[in-house]
Amino acid sequence: MPNSLSLLEIRDLHVGFRIFEGHLRVLTGVTLAVHEGERVGLVGETGCGKTTTVKSVLRVLPIPPARVTGGEILYRGRDILRMHRHALHVLRREELTAIFQDPLQSLNPVFTVGSQLRDIVRDSMRTPEGKSLSRREIEARCIQALEETGMPDPERIMSNYPIQLSGGMRQRVCIAEALSTTARLLLADEPTTNLDVTIQDQILRKLDRLVDQKGSSVLMITHSMGVVRDLTQRIYIMYAGSIVETGPTRQLLASPKHPYTQGLMASVPRLTGRGVSEGIPGRIPNYLAPPSGCRFHPRCPHRMPECSVEVPPMFDVGADQRAACYLYRRSPS
Amino acid sequence: MQDSTKANLLAAWRQRKRNLAHGWYKFSRNPLSVIGLVVLVLIVLVAIFAPYIAPYPGHAKAYTNFREASQAPSAQHFFGTDRIGRDIFSRILFGYRFSLLIGVVVLGLGVAPGVILGLIAGYRRGTWVEVVIMRVTDVFLAVPPLVLALAITAMLTPNLINQMMAIALVWWPWYSRLVFSLASSLRNEYFVKEAELTGASQAHILFREILPNCFAPIMTKMTLDMGLVILIESTLSFVGLGVQPPKPALGTMVAEGAKRLPAEWWSTIFPALAIVIVILAFNLIGDGLRDVFAVEDV
Amino acid sequence: MAKYIGLRLLQSVFVLFGLSLLIFFIARVVPGDPARQALGLLATQEQVERVREQMHLNDPFPVQYYYWLRSLLHGDLGVSSYTRRPVTTDLAQYLPATLELILFATLISFIFGQVTGVLAGYFRNSWFDGASRLVSYLGIATPAFVIAILLLFVFSQVLKLAPGIGRIPIMMQAPPARTGFMIIDGLLAGRPDVTLTALKHLLLPAFSLSVIHIAQEGRITRTSIVETMQKDYITLHRVHGINTRRILFKYLLRPSIIPTVTVMGLDFAFLMSNAFLVETVYMWPGFSRYAMTAMLNKDLNAIVAVVLVIGVTFALVNLLVDVIIMFLDPTVRLRQGGA
Repeated sequence: MPNSLSLLEIRDLHVGFRIFEGHLRVLTGVTLAVHEGERVGLVGETGCGKTTTVKSVLRVLPIPPARVTGGEILYRGRDILRMHRHALHVLRREELTAIFQDPLQSLNPVFTVGSQLRDIVRDSMRTPEGKSLSRREIEARCIQALEETGMPDPERIMSNYPIQLSGGMRQRVCIAEALSTTARLLLADEPTTNLDVTIQDQILRKLDRLVDQKGSSVLMITHSMGVVRDLTQRIYIMYAGSIVETGPTRQLLASPKHPYTQGLMASVPRLTGRGVSEGIPGRIPNYLAPPSGCRFHPRCPHRMPECSVEVPPMFDVGADQRAACYLYRRSPS
Repeated sequence: MQDSTKANLLAAWRQRKRNLAHGWYKFSRNPLSVIGLVVLVLIVLVAIFAPYIAPYPGHAKAYTNFREASQAPSAQHFFGTDRIGRDIFSRILFGYRFSLLIGVVVLGLGVAPGVILGLIAGYRRGTWVEVVIMRVTDVFLAVPPLVLALAITAMLTPNLINQMMAIALVWWPWYSRLVFSLASSLRNEYFVKEAELTGASQAHILFREILPNCFAPIMTKMTLDMGLVILIESTLSFVGLGVQPPKPALGTMVAEGAKRLPAEWWSTIFPALAIVIVILAFNLIGDGLRDVFAVEDV
Repeated sequence: MAKYIGLRLLQSVFVLFGLSLLIFFIARVVPGDPARQALGLLATQEQVERVREQMHLNDPFPVQYYYWLRSLLHGDLGVSSYTRRPVTTDLAQYLPATLELILFATLISFIFGQVTGVLAGYFRNSWFDGASRLVSYLGIATPAFVIAILLLFVFSQVLKLAPGIGRIPIMMQAPPARTGFMIIDGLLAGRPDVTLTALKHLLLPAFSLSVIHIAQEGRITRTSIVETMQKDYITLHRVHGINTRRILFKYLLRPSIIPTVTVMGLDFAFLMSNAFLVETVYMWPGFSRYAMTAMLNKDLNAIVAVVLVIGVTFALVNLLVDVIIMFLDPTVRLRQGGA
């Protein structure tokens, strides 16, 4: 039953890739939801399928070799996967916006920043009366958007080409672009991973403040616990193509229930306190021949016989927190 | 041979087999390329066995029979006969021999020096060696290949050998330039530096380290070039600068037949089709190879 | 930017110098006596000897080259042993005809190539895409002379749709050759009917020339469009709300045209080569036919001049292409000129 407040609902999404060696089962039953006004995090290691999920929502997966083999993606009740092209275009334009990992790839290299920003503002903004904006208004809006991201000297930036800017500045431009539209849902795929450590924090805070101002909902994809702790209200932990745990951010981080999440938390290096951080033994599974049942069981310290038989469903493990692990079998959700 | 070496060789051979299988998989994704390959194999077989397959092998030499001249395609003459009574089908089969032969010889003659010069120039980039080699290459490339080939062939006596030499002379600079850019970017790779440090000879570095990495683009280009060489050769023959009559060259046959359009369409159309088919086959295979060697990012 | 152009021009001069050496060398090394060739079989031995002295044929090679270079710099390319006119006069007469043909062919191949390429790329894997792929394969594999013959056969003789050979009908009087371009000369002489007819006569040969290039450029454009469409920034343009028409004609087109323009420079060279085939079939009184005649008749002065003209044109065209690319692609521009 679709939650009437949910903006985005992914239900049991299965995505596969066909390659020479066989069939890669990348996403196996991803289920998550973002409600109106919420900030949701999707956390997982590289290779667990996070970007594939985002691309599926935007429907920009390279369809051969990729294939959606099951599930639905509902935006306000309508299934994105089954929409007609025109409706999809409208949806993308008016409701969704995105920030990708590599700012250099995210900007058209043969046009100036100003050219691209102006066109975005021109095509997606109207005056309160519904008319299109004048040239001066567009220009003002662009400068304002750039200023809000903390960009020094926005006028000069407008006439620059993307390759003339540093990584941090490029990403600020991308943020300005993303938030200049009317979109309600922002999909942010590792927005600061490619940037220098020194400015990552800065940019994240800016992003946080701007999103707040606009009142957008966010699906923040990252592999970093630090990012989600400050920026999200609820998170999903993803491993090898499916969700293994979910719950309110502070709560989950304070008491992770799924063995994988626990391993992740233990891996985060601590500045104070004892000892060296320990990683999780083993490696991520081979998507061609994944382990049967729970995909994490070969590396799990609490492995039980039933774990290799069938994939565990989500069990309640706390207030609004759920984990896919047979350890918590007593209380099905 | 020691056991460890034997084991290594066996592993290397298995890896090569796997690569081949992988390559074939990618190649076979393109049905057109597979068709091209099949067609080419057929043409090669036909060319090799022409003396045995052709219904009138003697017509490929000096032969006249005005009673049988200018006949439309029939059961005795599949593609009809030309103005002086020769069976066009048989002549086409023999014509393929020339085309393929010229292609192989020209590429053999032209590619090797081009590749070697390109390797040397690329490896020694920044030195006078590179400057000399690449400027000479530029000079040869300053004029379109067809024009240069025409000019050279025209000034010598037109025959098979001169034709091949002219085209080969025109062809090597393209490989020189291709391999030059490949080699100059590869020379900074770690495996080259390693070989230098361990005192490998320059020949070893060039041929055992750098060259194997250039293999893919060279192979693709050679396949596509086979088609191009045949195109140029047929053009030269069309103009009268190629293999002289009565030897059957496809271009010459088109030229002879063209004078009699539209009446005896078969003497032009069939040789023209033969040319198009063989060039097309090479192009399709070349495209398939390009896909095989392309880097995928899934 | 100006510095870059200057440098390139200088480079071209060096290359052309080398080219002239090469072709001169080949021309002189070739067996046969150019003096005898010029005078014909009936000339006496003394006459031949005298001409040999005149043409410096008995002097060592570097001397010959020096004389030739000197005349060249004075605008004298020698006399054609076939037409018996100064080569420069021949060039002035025949070159514009071919240029007209080639420029028209370039225009046709650019327009058709871009349109088919963009449509095929945007509607990837549609029936149009598949059909244009097949047609372009055929276009690339078919030699120009085959196409020329076929087109002439089908459209002119069978369907009687287009005029046949020549630049203007035999009966029509040609306007004074001010520029050599029939289309322009017709207008300049106040005779638009000439311009119109000339255009009609240009159609078939120009089209024959351009088929292979439409095929090639179309495919490159298609690949380029497909590649660009998969880039993140195009997805983001869509997501950020830029309207589809603007994306198609502005943001998608410009990055995709660049590979095509690069190829067009090279294609121009092939156009020049194939022009003579088309000129032969369509009896076009052009430069390439002149070149062919020169080569077949061992007309040394003409051959050398022809190769040089082609080399110069090619170098200029390449330079033009590079400048255009600099204009279209700021990444190249910034690497070369400014930073």
